[in-house]
Amino acid sequence: MTENDLQPAPAAAATARSKSGPRGRVIVFGSWCKGCRLCVDFCPKHVLALDENDHPYPANPEACNACRWCETHCPDLAIVVKPVQ
Amino acid sequence: MSRLEQHSAYNYLRHTKKFPNVWCAGCGIGIVMGALIRAIDHLELDQNDVALVSGIGCTGRMPVYMDFNTMHTTHGRALAFATGLKLAQPRLKVIVIMGDGDALAIGGNHFLHAARRNMDLTAIVVNNAIYGMTGGQYSPTTPIDLRATTAPYGNVEPPIPVGELAIAAGAAFVARGTVYHAVELDRLIAQAIQKEGFSLVEAVSYCHTTLGRINKLGTAGDMMNTIKNNSVTLSAAEKMSEEDRQAKIVRGVLRDVERPGYLRLYDQVIERAIAQEASHAG
Repeated sequence: MTENDLQPAPAAAATARSKSGPRGRVIVFGSWCKGCRLCVDFCPKHVLALDENDHPYPANPEACNACRWCETHCPDLAIVVKPVQ
Repeated sequence: MSRLEQHSAYNYLRHTKKFPNVWCAGCGIGIVMGALIRAIDHLELDQNDVALVSGIGCTGRMPVYMDFNTMHTTHGRALAFATGLKLAQPRLKVIVIMGDGDALAIGGNHFLHAARRNMDLTAIVVNNAIYGMTGGQYSPTTPIDLRATTAPYGNVEPPIPVGELAIAAGAAFVARGTVYHAVELDRLIAQAIQKEGFSLVEAVSYCHTTLGRINKLGTAGDMMNTIKNNSVTLSAAEKMSEEDRQAKIVRGVLRDVERPGYLRLYDQVIERAIAQEASHAG
């Protein structure tokens, strides 16, 4: 498993955040992920997208408000959301 | 520190086991496992003081991945083994993890009597309404008219309402949650673990691989959405008509009463026996 394939795309990272409030950083553990898409489909802020390996990556990381929906619902315990300042 | 070690569940998993876990991509059983780990973490229980007991089936695999005292027992008998374990080691928090077929068909008898005795156990029934591992046979909780591999023309048997059955049998604590409302499920499981006597949490899940595919119910996400749209809280359900409520998954604590647990009653039996023997000897 390489961890750097899960880094956000540079263009998406430049997206400005829309609102103030808590922020989160989504960390995906790719080798445990089965690509079920639950996190991508249900993220209320549409932070995640699937990469070419069908693993999620934070395509729109600035939008994450650290609700931790993806972390609590990942059936493979493959996602962590860390709050950021 | 690797990325995985940052996960709160990391310390509760057996890293000698093969990950990713055995369940199909998107299966709700993994979500229940996460909720159980968070509940135990929240209660700050020592891993050596917790015992997980499971039967057979998809759900039966859950304790394999979790680093507690664990027993993987025969089909339907998880509650029977757990009863013995609890009587032998009363200090343990015994948590029994079963599927719907495991708990209510093969182990239906044990389920009724564990609830009737108010045995000091916490039962978690992951209700996905099908036998998933063995290939999609209909289970006692499969809804009417849904098809299964053993009911190709539609199921005609009414499903058992799991929570209501446990209430009728005498369980002290009965709650129902869903895998969509995972944080609520954490809280319900934590409440159940702390309760004296028999506590049951029904975790409503789905099986998109067998039930979903045969009935064209869509992907894991689609079935999760169905659960989301079909469930109501207990307070909302009380305002609904009986007919509307029947079609809904009612979430929340369905019953929470104080009833002496079996261990407390059994201690009284021991006291009585000692007193009686002493009077005979005297």
